[in-house]
Amino acid sequence: MNTFLSSSSARPANNHKLLIQLSEVAKVYNTAAGDFIALKGINADIYAGEFVGVIGKSGAGKSTLLNMITGADMISSGEVIFNASDGKSVSIHKLSENSLAVWRGRNVGIIHQSFQLLPMLNLVENIMLPLDFSGRYKRRVSKELAIELLKLVELEDHAYKLPAYISGGQKQRVAIARSLANDPPIIVADEPTGSLDTLTAETIFEIFEKLIEQGRTIIMVTHDNNLAPRFTRRLLIADGLITADSGFHLAPIQEQR
Amino acid sequence: MNDTTSAPVIQLRQVVKRFKTAAGEYIGLRGVDVDIMAGQFVAIVGKSGSGKSTMLNMITGIDHPTSGEVLVNGVNIYKMSESERSLFRGHNLGIVFQFFQLLPMLTLLENTMLPMDYCNAFSPSERPQRAMELLKMVGLQEHAHKLPAAVSSGQQQAAAIARAMATDPPIIVADEPTGNLDSRSAEEIINLFNQLVLQGKTIILVTHDASITKRTTRTLIIADGKIIDETVAQALPLLNHNQMLKVTNSLEHMEIAAGATIIHKGEHIDYFFMIAQGEVEVVLQPPKGTEVTLARLREGEFFGEVELVHGGNSIANVRAFPDGPVKLVALHRKEFTEMLVGSPLTEEALSRIVQARLVQNRSADRKKRWW
Repeated sequence: MNTFLSSSSARPANNHKLLIQLSEVAKVYNTAAGDFIALKGINADIYAGEFVGVIGKSGAGKSTLLNMITGADMISSGEVIFNASDGKSVSIHKLSENSLAVWRGRNVGIIHQSFQLLPMLNLVENIMLPLDFSGRYKRRVSKELAIELLKLVELEDHAYKLPAYISGGQKQRVAIARSLANDPPIIVADEPTGSLDTLTAETIFEIFEKLIEQGRTIIMVTHDNNLAPRFTRRLLIADGLITADSGFHLAPIQEQR
Repeated sequence: MNDTTSAPVIQLRQVVKRFKTAAGEYIGLRGVDVDIMAGQFVAIVGKSGSGKSTMLNMITGIDHPTSGEVLVNGVNIYKMSESERSLFRGHNLGIVFQFFQLLPMLTLLENTMLPMDYCNAFSPSERPQRAMELLKMVGLQEHAHKLPAAVSSGQQQAAAIARAMATDPPIIVADEPTGNLDSRSAEEIINLFNQLVLQGKTIILVTHDASITKRTTRTLIIADGKIIDETVAQALPLLNHNQMLKVTNSLEHMEIAAGATIIHKGEHIDYFFMIAQGEVEVVLQPPKGTEVTLARLREGEFFGEVELVHGGNSIANVRAFPDGPVKLVALHRKEFTEMLVGSPLTEEALSRIVQARLVQNRSADRKKRWW
């Protein structure tokens, strides 16, 4: 695990700008059994174009960290700053609920372990759902976009099938396509390969790598240490703290001896 | 049991579903007939692979029957086009899934608004308020602006129920809604369903959790693609599902007019009778004097077992109660005996009942002679 040891002094190239700044991010849950500190003060800078792996055991705080980045849940203290492509910076936990929803809709695509496709809608309709809900497109346009996205994940031949008729790996590809519906620069994925076999997981990584080439930033949570070599950046997390940060790299980090 | 005062909201008529697989044809449903009445809270139970989810998919239109008909609110949903059915479903059925299926990038409030948006139900300006009211109903108003990932599994399912209610459909259909929840969250979800039943909704849920059937008003057991006769399930609960299915397949159905005699005392009996509808009375009629009513039997109770187990001819008269016709399902001696051999538990339970009834009968007989 020595590759985790910090090389964060490495500065990114000019075209990789600072996208997300996490400073002293803490999250405390008040439960009946007392306070539970999920995050104790997380500091990390994430650059555009990085494929970030947040790696840790169950309960380490990695999903909570994702929820802080997406604004899914309130922060207890600290700050998450998003630097938009137009040069403006927003502190996302200071946004109103409405502005946060708008910000998220434009900037973040989210993928879960359990796909979350609606079984009564075919694949195109599942992808059209967030497009139509955003109200930004006419139905004809949103359908064309949905089919484009299915092409990207190589499922256009299955466009009119219901989720029940495709495999788990294919369902996850549809979920990825759906997460791209509003063309967000950031994709956040919580254990996206968690219920897939190794070979199928590989097809998911191939798509992620394609998205990175397009210039998107992906932040993926996993408990599986074996996946570490696939990321260009690794954040090891334990007990609510980052215990190792591989720093910025342009390509997946090769194991060194 | 069927409530004759309300109308069926869902009717399945001879529904057959065959699947073609690489390994050959597989029969999911072998001719399912069932009526579900407005306001019922129905649990569909069965082992994995029994056909319970397939049956639900026939009602939601997620899958198509190979043959047979499905009527929802009197409308044959398979005579519609795909898009008509989709809209019809949006207005008539709220669907709840085991894994919630909330869109991860939308807040609970936005997720709840989705079906209204999709079906163009309620005006766009009303939708956020209605969604908030539904979230309040399921106890999630404080979490309305959170993403699904930020709330517990039980809360995600509660939000999915709020979403299922969005277009105010009369029917809620749920596939293993508690299958992914701890027992306390499961309890809360069932409480929510009960609340909806009190509001007049019809709820159909598939579950493999037998404890949930204690909370529903009706249970349909499905085994090997067929629905177990509900009278059999009620009268012979100690049989396993396969044994119940065997009995179901061997039944003879009878209808008896109000007040008509079913069995005369002293008659030879070859059947075990279970009451599907109505009531019967067991009476002793002395040659002279007043008749004595030994028992009044209701739906799910049975008679004829004394003679089949103990031997001999009928020990009393059995007749339909005068206030209405009686429906019976009857099992022939041969199948009855096979059933007892296959189920020692049932045999034990029945022989206890036989002993009790014989004692009751003798004491009544003695009193009569004294008279």
